[in-house]
Amino acid sequence: MRRTAAVWAGKATGALSRISRLGGGTTLPGDVARAIDPDVLRKLSRDLKHGAIVITGTNGKTTTARLISWLLEGAGYTVVSNRAGANLIFGATAAALERAGANGKLKVDWGVFEIDEASLGRAIDEIQPRAAIVLNLFRDQLDRYGELESIAKRIEVALKRLPDKSRAVLNADDPRVAEIGLNLERPPLWFGLDDPSVAMSELPHAADARTCPRCGASLLFDAVYVGHDGVYRCPNGDFARPAPLLAATHIDLDGFESLAMGVGGVRIELPLGGLYNCYNALAAFAAGEALGLDPAFIADRLRTVRAAFGRQERLEAMGRVLNLVLSKNPAGFNETLRTAVDLAGGRNFLIALNDRRADGTDVSWIWDVDFERLRGRAQVVVPAGNRAYDLAVRLKYAGVDAKPPEPDPAAALDALIKATPEGETAHLLCTYTAMLDLRAELVRRGWAKPYWET
Amino acid sequence: MKTFTVGWLYPDLMNIYGDRGNILTLLKRAEWRDFDARLIELGRGTDKGMEDVDVFFFGGGQDREQALVYDDLLETKQAPLESAVAAGASVLAVCGGYQLLGHYYQTGEGARFPGIGLIDVRTEAGKRRFIGDVVVDADLPDLQPTTLVGFENHSGRTYLGPKARPLGRVRMGFGNNGEDHTEGCIQGGILGTYLHGSLLPKNPHLADHLVRSALARRGITELAPLDDAAEIAAHEKILARASPPRLRGGRPARKASSPGGESHLPVKGA
Repeated sequence: MRRTAAVWAGKATGALSRISRLGGGTTLPGDVARAIDPDVLRKLSRDLKHGAIVITGTNGKTTTARLISWLLEGAGYTVVSNRAGANLIFGATAAALERAGANGKLKVDWGVFEIDEASLGRAIDEIQPRAAIVLNLFRDQLDRYGELESIAKRIEVALKRLPDKSRAVLNADDPRVAEIGLNLERPPLWFGLDDPSVAMSELPHAADARTCPRCGASLLFDAVYVGHDGVYRCPNGDFARPAPLLAATHIDLDGFESLAMGVGGVRIELPLGGLYNCYNALAAFAAGEALGLDPAFIADRLRTVRAAFGRQERLEAMGRVLNLVLSKNPAGFNETLRTAVDLAGGRNFLIALNDRRADGTDVSWIWDVDFERLRGRAQVVVPAGNRAYDLAVRLKYAGVDAKPPEPDPAAALDALIKATPEGETAHLLCTYTAMLDLRAELVRRGWAKPYWET
Repeated sequence: MKTFTVGWLYPDLMNIYGDRGNILTLLKRAEWRDFDARLIELGRGTDKGMEDVDVFFFGGGQDREQALVYDDLLETKQAPLESAVAAGASVLAVCGGYQLLGHYYQTGEGARFPGIGLIDVRTEAGKRRFIGDVVVDADLPDLQPTTLVGFENHSGRTYLGPKARPLGRVRMGFGNNGEDHTEGCIQGGILGTYLHGSLLPKNPHLADHLVRSALARRGITELAPLDDAAEIAAHEKILARASPPRLRGGRPARKASSPGGESHLPVKGA
């Protein structure tokens, strides 16, 4: 009874929130339902016919969740997922509520939930997933999450509480994730990249350095793929990257258009760009395999996936192509910049930085982003967001000739469109709420669909 | 060409809040003034070139990294750092670096982690973290504008002894300890502060102060003026947060953030 009441109250809240245009109703219903029945997510999760998968990590959660849902749906399963990036426990609850029937039951095959790094413990306890994926651990929003160390320790504790038959699927290339995995009783399913041709020879900058968990020596990197993710070892032999069970080889990258790679004898191609998406695709492949999907089917299905909301989302605007790319921390930002400039040959940019709670109120991390990459290569750079003035200073010290700062989203878009030649692509790299602001303006102009329709 | 040398203490380990912004600001401003700007990275195990450094920078780190740094600081850096400062070099120490140059850091349980005692300050762990924008009225004679802006994120409470004087008083934010309204410290050529990350980019006048102080020993007392319009515009955006329009209500008396909530974890010792 209680659960039915909780489900109904949550559903009503979601409907009201959408009608009243407060947003897509992605978390508030979860709040309301949990107030009535704190166990509602636990109960709904038990209804899932085959079980659930949870995905955590600093970057790539939304895209990986989308890829896995895409695979499962293609195999004929029904899937419930917190698609809008509402990744706290309330968001996962809201997603489950929305799909529950009038009797309060959830008649769905699979749950695919992206979970905020700090909420993983609770999510694992309540959802009891079949698999838990940890993509990476980078510094992100120190004012909000705290140090990487405390997050990593919480994730380790959470994974140790996984049900007996569940599998931890971990990125071997991330030293801090590897440290977690090596402390688990049951060996995780390790995945990683093995292609020196796409590697950098050293860390992007000192801020990414990691030390050996046993002796404290600075780790040596034989290959660096993304941020501090790569092939590493302790100089004293105390710690090294675990050998990946699933490794991506022969990687081909084509701007934001596509990527291709070999995994376990199968060639995977998908219409998403950037080396960072190789990790997301590999994690999805690993999950698919762990859940019993045929590798050939996985490869075939991934060919037709679409980008998640605001993650390499392409729109037409007055004869220009706008490419919306969420970029919210140094590791992620450096990757989207590398993809936009080096791989896609991008020349027109809008960089939007907000400092609201969901973005992190401390913007000092922009000094760890290599905006120097734009120097001499970008013809248009518009600093935007409510911290556009900080970006303008950052770009000045990077030697980038930028337009005047434009905190107003509409004015920033106007400046970008005016300066971008017709027929060219402009890349909009934005923090989370800056992307929501820009997207709202794009929806108002009829250039994009509201996010609950993507 | 005149040289200008920045020494970055532990760039790999004490570097969590965009500290590269401070380094870039010092180097670029020297380049724009036609100095031959050089950076010496002072990681663990080396003291090479410390005698050539004009301005040292010592940033913040996580607990794990800070513990790794302390032994090396005592063994390889303390003596050359002391003689460099005695010879007129400047030091900017932020957050963890600020604490490590003081006498000690005392945890909530009463355990004391010694610092190297270069400045007369001591730090005790506090329960609540001080997080947010800061505006300081600086107590430095050659600073124009007279304000400093930045961001703080620390649970340490730092108290100044008689040999150190405050860098300034907080107009917004918590500063050294949230009690006496002071922020940072100045002792000889050493400047300690909790304003982390991009402190110097938005406070170009403080960057120039550090450079001028260090170059005085070489007879350079005037720096060529630069166009700081972008930096000062960013500075003023934060200043405006300290005096918001009346309708929005006052913000200066900010409360310490509580570590409650599922994604709001306390961070120690930064």
